[in-house]
Amino acid sequence: MMEEEEGAEEQQRFSYRQRLKAAVHYTVGCLCEEVASDKEVQFSKQTIAAISEVTFRQCENFAKDLEMFARHAKRSTINTEDVKLLARRSNSLLKYITERNEDIAQFNLERKAKKKKKLEDENKNSVEPAEAGAVESED
Amino acid sequence: MTARRRSHKARSIDRLAHIQAGGHLEEQTPRTLLKNILLTAPESSIVLPESVVKPVPTPQVVQTSRRESSRGSLELQLPEVEPSTTLAPGLLAPGRRKQRLRLSVFQQGMDQGLPLSQEPYGNADASSITSSLNLTFATPLQPQSVKRPGLARRPPTRRAVDVGTFLQDMQDTSLALAPPGDSLRTPVTTLPTDTVLEDTQPFSQPLLGRSPTVQHSLPCPSHSGAKDVERAVGHRTWSSGPRLQNSGPGKPAQLMAGKVEEVDALALGFPNTSSNISGEDGVEPLQNGVGEEAEGRMKEGLSMREVEEATEAQGSARAEEPEEHTEVTEAEGSQGAIEAKEPEGSSGDEDTPGRTASPELASSTPEFLRARRLQFPEPAPPPSTAVLTSEPPETLSARLPPRTRIPGPRPRQDPYKTGLNHYAKLFSFYAKMPMEKKSLEMVEKCLDKYFQHLCDDLEVFAAHAGRKTVRPEDLELLMRRQGLVTDQVSLHVLVERHLPLEYRQLLIPCAFSGNSVFPAQ
Repeated sequence: MMEEEEGAEEQQRFSYRQRLKAAVHYTVGCLCEEVASDKEVQFSKQTIAAISEVTFRQCENFAKDLEMFARHAKRSTINTEDVKLLARRSNSLLKYITERNEDIAQFNLERKAKKKKKLEDENKNSVEPAEAGAVESED
Repeated sequence: MTARRRSHKARSIDRLAHIQAGGHLEEQTPRTLLKNILLTAPESSIVLPESVVKPVPTPQVVQTSRRESSRGSLELQLPEVEPSTTLAPGLLAPGRRKQRLRLSVFQQGMDQGLPLSQEPYGNADASSITSSLNLTFATPLQPQSVKRPGLARRPPTRRAVDVGTFLQDMQDTSLALAPPGDSLRTPVTTLPTDTVLEDTQPFSQPLLGRSPTVQHSLPCPSHSGAKDVERAVGHRTWSSGPRLQNSGPGKPAQLMAGKVEEVDALALGFPNTSSNISGEDGVEPLQNGVGEEAEGRMKEGLSMREVEEATEAQGSARAEEPEEHTEVTEAEGSQGAIEAKEPEGSSGDEDTPGRTASPELASSTPEFLRARRLQFPEPAPPPSTAVLTSEPPETLSARLPPRTRIPGPRPRQDPYKTGLNHYAKLFSFYAKMPMEKKSLEMVEKCLDKYFQHLCDDLEVFAAHAGRKTVRPEDLELLMRRQGLVTDQVSLHVLVERHLPLEYRQLLIPCAFSGNSVFPAQ
């Protein structure tokens, strides 16, 4: 029975993998079409299949590496730092990721600033006495 | 009685024949001989002077027969010599001294070989009498060792190498070429020190270099295995290598010539005072040749060389010898290796100091390095590392020649090039076929990039973990990325597989006496 369960699980996982691979393949195909129309070259089916297979395997590697990096930094969550570490090999990719990271960080900061402002506005009116009380209690 | 004797004789003859047949396969050990004696000893009374069975004189049987004959003759003698043999009680009657004596007889017989056995049995008595008179317990050495087995078998004590003194010695040692005659030294003993020193060299960071060490130590044991062959091969390849590597960065074509000259002029006090291995100074071909080798070999010598350049006080090339040991065991048979050990900045005046230093570092030198040194008018250094730290000051002060050193900091390029050159030579050795100069250059380039990458990765990993120091965890991560460390194969497994015991002790936590674990976890 255990073996059957394991077998069924295996099949599930396998089918899941296949679906993932199919998704990757589809995406790669779309991208290749774009490039083909852009550069005016043609991509054979085998090429697309090869690229998608390589992409899939590389994604697996990336995932393992990211997990390793996070564990190396004694974290349990994968961070943007981990991603940057992963992408350090390729300069352009690293630059791109860094820029995006900065954008995101900035965006987050802005969001936080907005939220803070909102909070402050709300708090000013109704929470000031409570804050004062809180401050006194802290002291 | 005669009938009994005859039957006994027949039986003993049969037994003897049996022994002969079977004994051909056996070694002539005292045990087997004794067994033969016991099996063939005819039962005869003490009174009978000759009750000897004379079997066919084969080498084996001759012994027994001679013994028997001498036994008979010994019976006549006073029982002064009574070797304490524990013969089979069945055969040994309390009054049978002849059998007890037989042990000494065949001991003696074994010592004296078989000439006595050739004697005709008619004269056996006389000869055996004389031979018995010459009874010697022919294992003079044995008792000594038996008395003090511990002393006899104690390995030479080795002191840990003091790195400071070691570096000092390195600088002091001249670019002496070690005589290549020594083929007795096993480099295994120096392997750990070498790899330790190697560790520090290529990356200028003492803690780094585990992966290269792993890679490097891998060839080293294999090297040590076939030193002589390697030496021969290496000499050839190395000789051809320099010729091909004329365009090696920083190495003028003099290297080639220098190498050849080196090979020829070993025993000269090398006037290699001037420029060293890096070949930039390249004034003296010998030096250059040596330098080339030094570069090739002393890839590890990076930081050490820099230190040496700085001091230049006393050249003890020995310091490098342990390092070189692993490399030395490699294919380089040329004598420039010793010089190669010289720091690049060291001048030729290190030759004599180096020579003087050789006795100290004898133990740490690889075979052929010491062999080279032997060519110098020096006594062969005693192979004891214990001498290392004590001797350098004496020898150096005693024999330091008044040579001027060529000061000058080396450009940073050199140490790197040296190390890479060394690896390139390794590469060419393992290729087992002649390699073009350009291919070696490419190999060097690739190695350079590889090591750069390696160090960058290590640095980044350390920074990623919020540290400034590279630690084993970083290396483990790197090796994981390289695929060397997997879920099946852990880092400790690799350490066990490839590193020598000394490094393994440093890396893998092990419990020692007193409930102490080293290294501390």
